[in-house]
Amino acid sequence: MENLLDLNFLIESFPAIISRLPITIGIAVGSLLLSLVIGVAAALIKIYKVPVLSVITSIYISFIRGTPLLVQIYLVFYGIPKIIYFLQSEYGWLQSADVNSIAPEFYALMAFSINLGAYLSETIRSAIESVDRGQFEAAKAIGMTPVQMMLKIVFPQALTAAIPNLGNMFISTIKDTSLVFIIGVIDIMGQAKILGSRGLAFFEVYIAVSIVYWILCIAVERLLVKIEKRARRYERGIA
Amino acid sequence: MIKLEKLHKYYDRQHVLKGIDLTVEKGEVVAVLGPSGSGKSTLLRCINFLEDPTSGIVEIGGKRVDAATAKKKEIFALRTATGMVFQQYNLFKNLTVLQNVSVGLTSVKRMKKDAADKKGIEMLEQVGLSSKLSHYPAQLSGGQQQRVGIARALALDPEVLLFDEPTSSLDPELVDEVLATIRRVADTGKTMFIVTHELNFAREISDRVIFMEDGVIIEQGTAEQIFTEPAVERTRQFLGKAVQG
Repeated sequence: MENLLDLNFLIESFPAIISRLPITIGIAVGSLLLSLVIGVAAALIKIYKVPVLSVITSIYISFIRGTPLLVQIYLVFYGIPKIIYFLQSEYGWLQSADVNSIAPEFYALMAFSINLGAYLSETIRSAIESVDRGQFEAAKAIGMTPVQMMLKIVFPQALTAAIPNLGNMFISTIKDTSLVFIIGVIDIMGQAKILGSRGLAFFEVYIAVSIVYWILCIAVERLLVKIEKRARRYERGIA
Repeated sequence: MIKLEKLHKYYDRQHVLKGIDLTVEKGEVVAVLGPSGSGKSTLLRCINFLEDPTSGIVEIGGKRVDAATAKKKEIFALRTATGMVFQQYNLFKNLTVLQNVSVGLTSVKRMKKDAADKKGIEMLEQVGLSSKLSHYPAQLSGGQQQRVGIARALALDPEVLLFDEPTSSLDPELVDEVLATIRRVADTGKTMFIVTHELNFAREISDRVIFMEDGVIIEQGTAEQIFTEPAVERTRQFLGKAVQG
């Protein structure tokens, strides 16, 4: 009788898949951090309506929202080496960079940072704009510089308000990292694919990898609840 | 000393301040009264450039700033020479009571954290809130928040304290504790500029009362003068109605 599943193969595939978890988490966390920088910068450019840059930012956000992530990954993967090569041969810049030695993980990190940065910028912008005007005025009135005002007063409040949205985007990003195998990164998905073709047991490995994603996302959700609770401690009133 | 010369403020085409000239001596407590929309809050907010005056001169403690040519540095100087207490308190929500008072000392006055905390605690003792150092604003009553606001403004040793309707958002039973705090500060000889609707308080605390309407100072004089024998009919009308109401 034919078995629906090769349960042993499924179970035995877990260690190999889990061994690639650092790649998946690394790309997700790394691009979250980088995209926060991009997102904050883009948000500030739009809020302060910086000439030229705000137009570029609008185009960037529109482009990222209007094209598939998969296409963006390919653009980064094929585009960055070409650009570096072009700069080297035409201008003699970046001579120390060896295009062939750049790890695919680097391109994955770039692609996800650029993608997530665009989405985060809108969230961060609305979070900054939701901070009470009085907070800005009080900071100005005591003589803070705009930078001090942003770092000490506005960002802490805005980012706290944005945690639920940022968290959802981060969880989406974790799942989206399953696309990186297409540029040769062996993340948990890439590893599952390899195991699947080796044992001709695709259903089993994809069940295994989906369980790993699922548990990872649940764990991150739990962690986010804790982080949010801690960040929001100042909002709790007397009652 | 504060000196305002020919201060004008337009919002688009609306002329909100129509050439205010005013001198406040060191240690003087000045109350500004007037109906809503008279420009009294705008006047206060133009002193530290929370609103940019359209034209005119603001001088505080010898620092003269011309609105037409004001540079960022000059505006910062005015802001560090003034302390402001807001109608909505505007305490920094993400900071504790002590941090609210000390943040200006560490970031603006570049004080060391220990010294800033020490001074912060001192200020909070003055307003009777040294037992709430690690509370967050959301955990305080409106009156307590406003007292922290006063401590925050005092901490930077400003030449003048600006009060923008400091009791207007408070529940009636919380007004007294804030007024008592302001009174104590006045007794220390601070120069103060108070925009308020609390007529009796204004009468009791201030050396001078200014009555504003429609962007101009209609009348000014000692509290006694203005309240007992106002020279201008409009002042009499406003004070009479408000006292009865």
